[in-house]
Amino acid sequence: MTISTQTTSPNIAAEMLLTEPAELPRRRFGRRPRRGGPAAARTPLAVSIVKWVLLGALALVMLVPLYILVISAFKPQADIILHPLAITPDMFTFEYLGNAITSEKFNVVGAYGITLLFVLLVNVFCIALSAPVAYVIARGRTKWHVVLLVVFVSGLFIPGQVTLIPVVFVLRVLGLINTIPGFLLFETAATLPVTIFLFAAYLRTVPRDIDEAAALDGAGRIRAFWSCIFPIMRPVVATIVVLNSIGVWNDFVSPQIILGPGSGIYTVTTGVYAAVGEFSTDYTVLFPTLLLAIAPAVVFFIIMQRHIIGGLVAGATKG
Amino acid sequence: MADTVARLAGTARARAAAPARRRRASWQDRLAGVIMTGPALLVFIAMFIIPMLLAVVLSFTDWNGYSLRFDFIGFENYADAFKNPRTVDAAVFTSIIAVIGTVLCNGIGLAVASLIAGNSRGNTVLRTVFFYPYIISALIIGFLWSAMLAPQGAVNSLLAQFGMAPLPFLTDMTFAKASVILTIVWSHFGFNMILYLAGIKSVPTEYYEAATVDGASRWQQFRNVTLPLIAPVLTVNLVLTLVGLLKAYDIVLALTDGGPAASTQTIVYQILKDSFAQARLGFGAAQSVVLLIVTAAIGLAVTFARRGADRKASES
Repeated sequence: MTISTQTTSPNIAAEMLLTEPAELPRRRFGRRPRRGGPAAARTPLAVSIVKWVLLGALALVMLVPLYILVISAFKPQADIILHPLAITPDMFTFEYLGNAITSEKFNVVGAYGITLLFVLLVNVFCIALSAPVAYVIARGRTKWHVVLLVVFVSGLFIPGQVTLIPVVFVLRVLGLINTIPGFLLFETAATLPVTIFLFAAYLRTVPRDIDEAAALDGAGRIRAFWSCIFPIMRPVVATIVVLNSIGVWNDFVSPQIILGPGSGIYTVTTGVYAAVGEFSTDYTVLFPTLLLAIAPAVVFFIIMQRHIIGGLVAGATKG
Repeated sequence: MADTVARLAGTARARAAAPARRRRASWQDRLAGVIMTGPALLVFIAMFIIPMLLAVVLSFTDWNGYSLRFDFIGFENYADAFKNPRTVDAAVFTSIIAVIGTVLCNGIGLAVASLIAGNSRGNTVLRTVFFYPYIISALIIGFLWSAMLAPQGAVNSLLAQFGMAPLPFLTDMTFAKASVILTIVWSHFGFNMILYLAGIKSVPTEYYEAATVDGASRWQQFRNVTLPLIAPVLTVNLVLTLVGLLKAYDIVLALTDGGPAASTQTIVYQILKDSFAQARLGFGAAQSVVLLIVTAAIGLAVTFARRGADRKASES
């Protein structure tokens, strides 16, 4: 992914959220009670203990399911049921994970490949389509530019599931139902409102001097945008790539409906549904499949944590 | 005289030429503008505007989803949607999910955010721990918890080790409804927490210092400083969670598949089942239109109701 080389944080919110130096004033304030003074009397040890016990219990509730998911992928059915929390060398086996990898029902490698391809293409199409529009909107001074923005942003309030049924109709008319182009068309369109909104908001903060300098050098408007303005948009592009990637990777309804079983194309989510759906009581199929499905997302999350959280905050609070 | 005419024409031409040059430049600009907006607008019209209008048209038809032919049947689909006990039950359960889920997600999210707002190493780790389910597909969360809560699942197995009887988490109607809501809260409150954290961190430290000087307790600081100042974040959270939970589907499909006895079917579950499994896309479209109107109305209503608090926050 192109964004893995990103070193800048996508936005200030992310910086504030996770970097320590930015929080020095607050940290100093946080320490004050510990140094004594009036606040110290109000946070006695007992309160602190209750707080950490509660947070610890909640953390256990969050982590135990993940732990069970991981260890159960390496255990036979009987041990999964009888000893949900234990993993010992004599029950440990790669057999079921191997079965899941080579499963006829869910071709993991194929599903990873297809889903990654979708993530990549939706990102490329989304950015290629949205960035110029956002630029025109951000630089425009007429009422038509405002109308354009309102039209695109109104898409934020239309849930995808609501348009899915008529989209099936449109794709059927276009002959794109059950095809990859049809799916990409819908998935890209779904990303446009948020992307255009965030891009336009960002571009308003980019000074017009850069446009004028490019124009003086004889660059046309389109060339000026792609060669001079677009490179400046890196942080907001990173935000959008994160939002889109999580969205497309996890999407289940759109691929399930648009790439129906007839198409023979499975993403990770529709593949899991096809593999597990009927056999959800056979845990030796369920857990290894789920582990395979979440592994890339979890690795991506651990590596890109700051960008992901920052991107989600930006996407939610500005959109 | 001919001279004068020629001169006038010349000046007129010259006068016309100057704006023409400018206009030609702007005409090129405009062409560039059209080239830059055209493709996105086309995609948007094809996948948003036309489907929106089509949803309304199709909701008055008996389209089955396969043929491109259908008949108009008036308001029959809408009448059916409001009469049909399955749809009504699904609408009621979806509302319960949306209301209880929103209260729990935001209550837990805000409480946890205010407890771990500091930047110690432990807090950073806890944030990750609370947030991570949000990046996992809802379908997979549903399957994971369906295995955990099954009659022989991990939770019941643990209860048995403590000498307790197994609980019918997914097989009793009331338990199943609670399981759906709690699973949604489990996977979603971390997202609310992250937004609240961003809000809490944007509150200037001086305000807390002033409050401490005035002798305000931690709770009073939270109530009188933090809460009013993060009002806009609260609004965003409420709208996003309410609107998001009204669309709950993937988790339900994987966790209970709408059961037992259709007690945990949500409105989107119902829409997709009617549309595709039952090939009644016209009926599904009618329910979609109702859902769209309800979603938009709730979003606007909450935003409107919170306007006063938001304005106060931006003034201070």
